[in-house]
Amino acid sequence: MKTMKLFRWAAMGLGMLLAMRGSALATSPWEQPAGALAEQIAAILGSGQAHLTIRNLSRIPNDDVPAIRKLLAQDLKEHGVTVSDDESANSIRVTLSENARERLWVAEVIEGSVTQVAMVRLDSDGAQHAQTAGGLTLHTETILRLNEPVLAVLEIANGMVVLEPEQIVFETRVPNGWREQSRTGIGQKQPLPRDPKGILVPEGGTAFEAWLAGTQCRGSYDPAQSPGQGTVSCYASDDPWPLLQSEQAAVPAKAFFNSARNYFTGVITPSVDEDPRAFYAAAWIPRAVGGAALVVGGIDGKVLMIESGISKPIAGTRDWGSDFAVIHSGCGAGAQIIASGSGEAAADSLRAYELPALEAVPVSVPLEVGGTVMGIWSAPDGKSVFATVRRADDQYEVDRVTALCN
Amino acid sequence: MRWTVLRRFAISCAVVLLALPLAARTRPHYGGALHVETEGDPWQKPDGIARRLVFDGLTTLDARGTVQAALATGWESDNADHRWQFRLRPGVHFHDGSPLTSTAVMQALNLDCPANCPWAAVHAVGSMVVFTSDSAMPNLPALLAEDQFLIALTVTADGKTPDGNIGTGAFQVTSFNNGVLELTANEICWQGRPFADAVEIRAHRSVRDQWLDLSIGRADVVEVPVEMLRQAQQQKLTVLVTAPTSLLALQVADTGSLANPMLRAALAASIDRSALANVIFQKQGEATASLLPQSLTGFAFLFPVDRDLNKVHELRGGLATPTLTLSVDGDGALLLAAQRIALNLKEAGFNAQEVDAGGAQRADLMLRTIPLEGGEAAAVLESVSRSVGAPAIALDSSPASVYRAERGFLDRHTLIPLVDLPRAYATGARVRDLGLDADGIPDLAGASLEDAP
Repeated sequence: MKTMKLFRWAAMGLGMLLAMRGSALATSPWEQPAGALAEQIAAILGSGQAHLTIRNLSRIPNDDVPAIRKLLAQDLKEHGVTVSDDESANSIRVTLSENARERLWVAEVIEGSVTQVAMVRLDSDGAQHAQTAGGLTLHTETILRLNEPVLAVLEIANGMVVLEPEQIVFETRVPNGWREQSRTGIGQKQPLPRDPKGILVPEGGTAFEAWLAGTQCRGSYDPAQSPGQGTVSCYASDDPWPLLQSEQAAVPAKAFFNSARNYFTGVITPSVDEDPRAFYAAAWIPRAVGGAALVVGGIDGKVLMIESGISKPIAGTRDWGSDFAVIHSGCGAGAQIIASGSGEAAADSLRAYELPALEAVPVSVPLEVGGTVMGIWSAPDGKSVFATVRRADDQYEVDRVTALCN
Repeated sequence: MRWTVLRRFAISCAVVLLALPLAARTRPHYGGALHVETEGDPWQKPDGIARRLVFDGLTTLDARGTVQAALATGWESDNADHRWQFRLRPGVHFHDGSPLTSTAVMQALNLDCPANCPWAAVHAVGSMVVFTSDSAMPNLPALLAEDQFLIALTVTADGKTPDGNIGTGAFQVTSFNNGVLELTANEICWQGRPFADAVEIRAHRSVRDQWLDLSIGRADVVEVPVEMLRQAQQQKLTVLVTAPTSLLALQVADTGSLANPMLRAALAASIDRSALANVIFQKQGEATASLLPQSLTGFAFLFPVDRDLNKVHELRGGLATPTLTLSVDGDGALLLAAQRIALNLKEAGFNAQEVDAGGAQRADLMLRTIPLEGGEAAAVLESVSRSVGAPAIALDSSPASVYRAERGFLDRHTLIPLVDLPRAYATGARVRDLGLDADGIPDLAGASLEDAP
């Protein structure tokens, strides 16, 4: 009877241990590479005993190394290789290494004077960014990561239109993000300027318009009706681009873009300023007294507010970069400017500002974005902004930036 | 009284200045001229600073070293990589206005590579450029991004040889007088007009003079030799440094007394690589015994760098060698490195005598630097090994395959890797967004000037 009880306790303990191991291994990112490397090592050594050493030349935290060693030992055992402390046995010297692109685990299998090598490669992991504090809190969510520069994205129903310098890409929503369905060449006749710029504008329903230097496109995309297929028609055009988020403006305004450069000429139609000057970015921001003012980031670095035909400089913008957009967060004054950081920043940031008078007042702490901000624009509903970020590895990501009231 | 007024005026000015909105901008500006200085010739192969400004390749490498489309928009291979076809980008023109054609590309490549090319033949077929070879060419798209395969116009529309260097790049040549190369922006560049209106490259300028010119604002971009990197940092220069872009190596003849591979292996074990890296290159280089740097493969540590005099004696087995001749393809730090190598060899029982690199007879040993262009290990391995003889071609791009090919090449001991070297430049305060290409050359077309109008 007593033996039965002991057996039952032992079985329960073993079950719990196995369950714990199973759950640990299931969540371990090292399980797959450890198994693959063990398989290769066993193919070289055959079954038997071996002395295992492990060193870490990679950015994997040293705290993870014992777990990796344990996984390797278990996987080797499953392939008939028992890890032994006997240094006279065959040796397995595992190095957790990496190059500029990926991780690499290397096993030197030493049998007497003969050394054979086995290797497995692992993808490097990505980074998540989030930061809090201030009058409101900015959050980013990376929605796309691409090898090509992204000028703009536009969500339509369960689809997304992505504007690249030479192509328009159609994506559909999948459980873990977005999947590219098709892409269409824009077919510009003239080369785009360096540091190209472009916008996507919803035209109701599934229709959209795309604007690039010297080119305009009209298209539609309805993943529900025609999975994977969107339609696009592009043509040469020097027509002015719509200035987004202009609902509060009396008349929808458009601005002429200099198709050989990376900025707007300064000419806005209908005219809002008696003294037009070239600018990189412009956004309508609601005013406390009603109506909206146009905030313009000039190519001379000065930020102006244009209201009732008069432009006035805004103070406190020395930390602004050349890109900004308006977010209608509902916090504080209701709408804020999200501006990129100034300077040549490999690790750029976004920060929210309010403009109570002619002074920019920061209302959030800078939010690091892990690269250089290449463009910012408001989502069609105004409740979030999108930012394209070029990362140090030359990949481009599109982040959705939202604001939470503190 | 006068001082009080002046003080009030100064305080008022300061208050006004503080109150004014200060300019801050991050988008690159168009306009202005970049002033660059270089010790060598701007046209020298493989790393002349003007070459990538004026010429483009069929392919190019991004900052990660990944192959990207350039003058070719796409490529396919057939017959197990024995035949490749590259589609030319439409609408591209040389600086003289003549269109880029497949015939022009074929002519340029035949001139670029008269022998020992990665291909056996290149043909122009419509808008395609077709490469064929009896051997597989798995790395051809990456190899075509190398400096040596940039496309220059070789025949003008009227059938003449062009007067000067004409390409399709971001800048075109205006003049080259008294050692100053003047380039102007190519307004119709297929990649978009560069930000700067002009680039002035002052050639054959000593590094000291370059740094002096940088300090007085006469130069915007100057060179920083590896052995002077620490000095540049101490002087608080703004320095851009790459990952390793060249390999210092000793090329070993496999003839005469060195026909014996054991002796060549003994030479490899004789050299104190760490001393070269730490003393000659001031800890700014990385001692290595592998062809490919750790940053490229992740397995460079499999080739041990330690000097091993016991192994030297074992490998020599009492064999006597006549005095070996040692030449240097370079100057400055390379000459000092050669002296140290000669000393190392003497300590290991070899006699090495330095000879003029321009001598009629090829030296037994030649100290040289070899460019490490690109980010794809298999392609870099092929390129490096091709530059010293028979190429080592990995069967595929897997690390294990590249390792086997590299191991096979190094076991011949005809090239002894010594130190991986980065490339560095210092920039002036008005230069913005200057990056370095995968081969370490400044991407001046992507740079802009802070004080541009």
